[in-house]
Amino acid sequence: MSGATQNSEASVGNLARIESYQHLYVVIEHEEGVPVPVSLEMLGEARRLMDNFNVRYSSNEKVVAVVLGDNVRHLCQELIRFGADVVVYADNHSLKHYTNLLYTKIICQIAEDKNVARSISPNRSENYKKPRYMFFSADNTGRHLSSTVLAQLESGLASDINKLVISDLEIRHEHKTKGQPVKFEKTLEMYRPDFSGFLWTTILCLDNRNPAIAREYHPQSCSIIPGVFEPITKEDQRTGTIIDFEPQISGEDLRIKVLSRNIIKSTIDFESCKIIVSYGRGIRDSPEDNFKLIEQFAKALNAEIGISLPISKRPYQTKDQHLLSYMIPERVIGTSGRKVSPVVYIAIGISGAVQHLAGMKESGFVVVINPDSDAAFRDECDIFIKGRLEEVLPILTEQIKKHMLMIEKRA
Amino acid sequence: MERYDVAIVGGGTSGLTALRQLANLGKQAVLLEAGNTAGTKNISGGILYSKKPKNGRVYNIEDVFGREFIDDAPYERPITRYILHATSKDKLYSIDLTPVHEYQINYAYSVLLSKLIPWLAKEASDMSEKMGGGIISGVHMRSVRWEQGSSDIVIDTDELEPFRVKAVIAADGVNSELAEVTKARNKFSSEQLYQGVKVVIKLPETILEERFNVTSEEGAAHLFAGDVTMNHIGGGFLYTNRDTISLGAVYHMDSLMDNPVEPSRLMDTLIRNKLVAEFVKDRVPAKKSSQALISKDEEIRQHFMAVKLLKTWNNLRSEYYSRDGIKRLIESGKYGTKDEIGSRIAFLENELVEKYNYEFGDNYVELEYSTKLIPDGKRCRMKAPYYKNILFVGDAAGRGVFVGPRIEGLNVGIDDAVRAANAVARSLDRNNFDEQYLGNFYTKSVEESPYTRDMKEIDKDYLKIFLDCSKNIPKDIVGSRYGMIFKLMSSGTLRGIAVGFANMLGFDRLLPLVESVDTYVNVPVELADRLGKTIDSNYVPSTPSLQERIAKLDYNDDTFPHIQVTKPRSEFMQKMVSLCPTRCYSCENGDVILQHEGCIECGTCAYETLWRHPRGTKGVSYKYG
Amino acid sequence: MPVRPLNVGVIVKLEPDFSEGNVSYNPDGTLNRAETKNILGPHSAAATLAAFYCKVKYDAKVAIGTMGPPIANQALRQAQLISNADELHLYSDRIFAGADTLATAEVLRLGVSRMNKGLGADIVISGHRASDGETGQTGPQTAWKLSYPFIGNVIDFHIDQEGRSIYAKRFISLYGFYDVIEEIQAPLPVFISADPSYKPSFNTISERLSVARNLNEARNKADNFEKYLQVYNSEGLGADPRYVGLPGSPTIVYKVEKIPKAKAKRRVEFVDGNDTVQLDMVAKKLLQLMTEAPIK
Repeated sequence: MSGATQNSEASVGNLARIESYQHLYVVIEHEEGVPVPVSLEMLGEARRLMDNFNVRYSSNEKVVAVVLGDNVRHLCQELIRFGADVVVYADNHSLKHYTNLLYTKIICQIAEDKNVARSISPNRSENYKKPRYMFFSADNTGRHLSSTVLAQLESGLASDINKLVISDLEIRHEHKTKGQPVKFEKTLEMYRPDFSGFLWTTILCLDNRNPAIAREYHPQSCSIIPGVFEPITKEDQRTGTIIDFEPQISGEDLRIKVLSRNIIKSTIDFESCKIIVSYGRGIRDSPEDNFKLIEQFAKALNAEIGISLPISKRPYQTKDQHLLSYMIPERVIGTSGRKVSPVVYIAIGISGAVQHLAGMKESGFVVVINPDSDAAFRDECDIFIKGRLEEVLPILTEQIKKHMLMIEKRA
Repeated sequence: MERYDVAIVGGGTSGLTALRQLANLGKQAVLLEAGNTAGTKNISGGILYSKKPKNGRVYNIEDVFGREFIDDAPYERPITRYILHATSKDKLYSIDLTPVHEYQINYAYSVLLSKLIPWLAKEASDMSEKMGGGIISGVHMRSVRWEQGSSDIVIDTDELEPFRVKAVIAADGVNSELAEVTKARNKFSSEQLYQGVKVVIKLPETILEERFNVTSEEGAAHLFAGDVTMNHIGGGFLYTNRDTISLGAVYHMDSLMDNPVEPSRLMDTLIRNKLVAEFVKDRVPAKKSSQALISKDEEIRQHFMAVKLLKTWNNLRSEYYSRDGIKRLIESGKYGTKDEIGSRIAFLENELVEKYNYEFGDNYVELEYSTKLIPDGKRCRMKAPYYKNILFVGDAAGRGVFVGPRIEGLNVGIDDAVRAANAVARSLDRNNFDEQYLGNFYTKSVEESPYTRDMKEIDKDYLKIFLDCSKNIPKDIVGSRYGMIFKLMSSGTLRGIAVGFANMLGFDRLLPLVESVDTYVNVPVELADRLGKTIDSNYVPSTPSLQERIAKLDYNDDTFPHIQVTKPRSEFMQKMVSLCPTRCYSCENGDVILQHEGCIECGTCAYETLWRHPRGTKGVSYKYG
Repeated sequence: MPVRPLNVGVIVKLEPDFSEGNVSYNPDGTLNRAETKNILGPHSAAATLAAFYCKVKYDAKVAIGTMGPPIANQALRQAQLISNADELHLYSDRIFAGADTLATAEVLRLGVSRMNKGLGADIVISGHRASDGETGQTGPQTAWKLSYPFIGNVIDFHIDQEGRSIYAKRFISLYGFYDVIEEIQAPLPVFISADPSYKPSFNTISERLSVARNLNEARNKADNFEKYLQVYNSEGLGADPRYVGLPGSPTIVYKVEKIPKAKAKRRVEFVDGNDTVQLDMVAKKLLQLMTEAPIK
């Protein structure tokens, strides 16, 4: 392509390129026809970014959701309500389960398909080559899928992103620009937290504008950490285009077979809830009654319930099946159980053994309710309520409900 | 189903000796070890003896493993001095028992099993692999069965497909599951057991040698009786290793049941004895509490830097206080002279004090806390240590010599293992695994062992040496009750008659008389008070809490508890709340409940629980042993 | 008829040792790479274990490759200790430096074709990802460039040698949903990534004895690991300079900055459980946190 070495020429080159790379494609993951949360989170962020983009560049580029599966037509309208302008779906029995090979091929087919581009944007598609941007989820499936799709599309990919900005950047880079300052428009700045948690690294995917190694790298793509971005509020009136894509599938592509699929864990969701309320042996004086208090408290806060390890051993004689269902190893927080990091962690009647602390120390804000102010937890919390749960919880629950009501009224 | 000639269950010193001896005899055997690798689940006091009894023979470690044992030296130090200290609240009276210790020995070495056992394992498996056998670690034997019409034993494990063998050697320790599943013997009761508790303490090599006044080829053992036992029958021990100390105590379980005290508290009491405190003292860094307000980031950075400096300081200092270490450092070219290393250490200390808010002072450094049950061979040895074609050895057979200051387990197990391996080899040659041919032969061989004699009767020569060592003790101290016996024993002729008479009565009837609070506590306390001297110590060691001790141990948690409480309200279980060395039991509304994650698999609670070892690779892994 | 021998390739990575006492941080909180020891990363170790499984179970030939500076041969030695590998490959060239995942995958693609005396590999195994900022993309991208189908997060597998296919179980975590285990069948050649939880299981005595034999052999080999080491530069691999290193990398690191909101050290505030006013403050605080938090 351009191979421009000077600013002015590079800008001219950009004008031509606008037509080659368009839109933000979001690869949707769903489970049996229900979108997994990160899919809607990606759509939300895509919506926000492209709304700004279109204002800023006076353009009309789209958020394009791509969804593959068996019998997924019904999903398309839902995706539009959550922010997609266009949904391209491929419906085929052989797409019932994800296999990397077949999914990669079909996603690439969609991304490079001129007819699809024409349906998305009838007047501006003649030079269309590939998407401008692409989003995948940074879970097991999306991580691999994004890698192979981008290997096929021969472009760059940043993984585990938790902040995104689109801007025009002047870049001077030994290879990319042969050391000359060059303006790159509509560049996606992809922020990824590094392993230590101390640093943000910003990754850019840039064309090589150095004539010696000139090459275009689009789409600019990334995988997005689940639970980071907020979905937009569902809008039932939103409309959009739905495109039924007929995938090209050869026998070779079907050589990977999913023989079986087993769900292995219950649906206790410590990952996506904001608040976790955990209880320990402090309930001992009256397990059934105290658990009721805890459950009401958790409900008021829309919190998931965790337990300390000793509770999973069912130390209390109780016939209350409901309580027993909350005394299972799957709910244990700690080294022998789950590691969690909610926004708020509330520990009720838990002394704070090292094993337990290891499971929750990454939590944002920690509240402890315990009559023993010397409990080990005192050094690992932000608020320590010294008191018996029997007395503290009813007051707290009531106050929360009261304030909640006020908030709702205001809204 | 796969077939092998012999299975050995348990990769401790006995099991590995059996494996090696079978290989020496050209026999194929596979050894199952539940730990991740051999030597991670084993605890010993520990002194390993090589013996030369006047009557009869015993098999010593070098008889099986050859000269390489001496050359490779997988032990700590030769123990060349053996001192008994009678203690009272603030005084101490010492008796040199070195002649007693040296009675009929070739040598005695202090050992740490994490070093000894991997060596034995390598030597045994190298040889065994040539015979098509070897060590299978991380595998827990679950049960054995005999199929109809065959004497072959089918072994079921938690990890492997079942396999078939012709004979089994049970070397699975004091809490033998083979004994349990075959009902070959009853579980040991508290009357038959001692509970041992030990900590390994760091002490740089040359500091240790100077303190105990030993050369690099010498070592000391110190025993403690009297006040330190908190009124229990038992006593403390301190053995010098290469650059660590094994400090521990052994208490009769009956005595603990009468007066339950947490093992870690007993340990603390021993450490706070002034002589012990002085013995283990070292220069130890500690973080001062900080007033300065610093950001979390800065705090983390400082923490990582300090940890790194401490690590360097520690390593450098260990090298500095060891002969080879200084040589190594100078040869590495990093340092020119010993003084240079010394000033580097001083520099690091200064950095830690100035920049990272550390201070250096007298304290001691505990590396590992452990416990083990010890079967008292006098009271619980299996009279016929076999069941069908399974032979029991060492602790599994309840065999150990435990007489006064004489505490021997490792060498007894080794002797048993050779006898068992010989018996099995003989059966393999004839393809005859009948009880008559195998079990009886082995029983006879074990009965012939001088160790068995020592579990049955008093050795009057041993007694004489003991009395000679303690001849300076005023006779009235031992009180009216024992004065007579003492007098009798002091005269050569009368001693002969007295011992003869005592042996006629048998150990069983003598023991309650000899092993009493009087002999173990009151006499030593009085001795120290009247004759002892005061020890000066200018610091009080800060003993770690039990939580800290547990936190230092490595666990591979098994989510599936290996112990089941069956009598949550029994008197025995109530006592376990105190006696479990890692406080796995607690009491809720009168019921004793278990939290097994901190369990170190000692078996103290086994008598009234459904007790199994954890599955393969699970549970605790000791670093010193 | 004897089955065709199985050739295995493993891709590993040298990583900083993040354990306390070994890791060093700069004053600004970034990793001090010069002061920090390097080790075979835990994810790479899982991949190496999977190769060891093939060694014990199928008597496979194993080659292990890594792209990196000469110091990376320590990772290879560690990997050989775990797997009893027959070949160790180091792909090392100045021009490979600065490569992103796509350019790295290009080098590894060429490397795999040199493995096992030029026969390549029937199975290539990589780790799930690396701990030091590597992205988990290299494996799948290498697979794609090799035209091998990719199966990620494998927790268990076995090979049907006569049928020349793999049966693998893969683990899928659907954040916010349940977790899933899929059983997959694919013909060889294939590329798998070992899940961090992967642990081979050997459940007969003869396999366990073979494990012991192999580990013994591995120790002996690793003592002279240079004998098994092959070092390739760009030319040796026949790499096109435009597709490796910086020129072959679509992405660049534009900037590195401190993440502003460092988590505050917890400073506990005590609240009297009998004081309704104070409890009301707590309730308000909880609601505030709940409604304001952008994350999750």
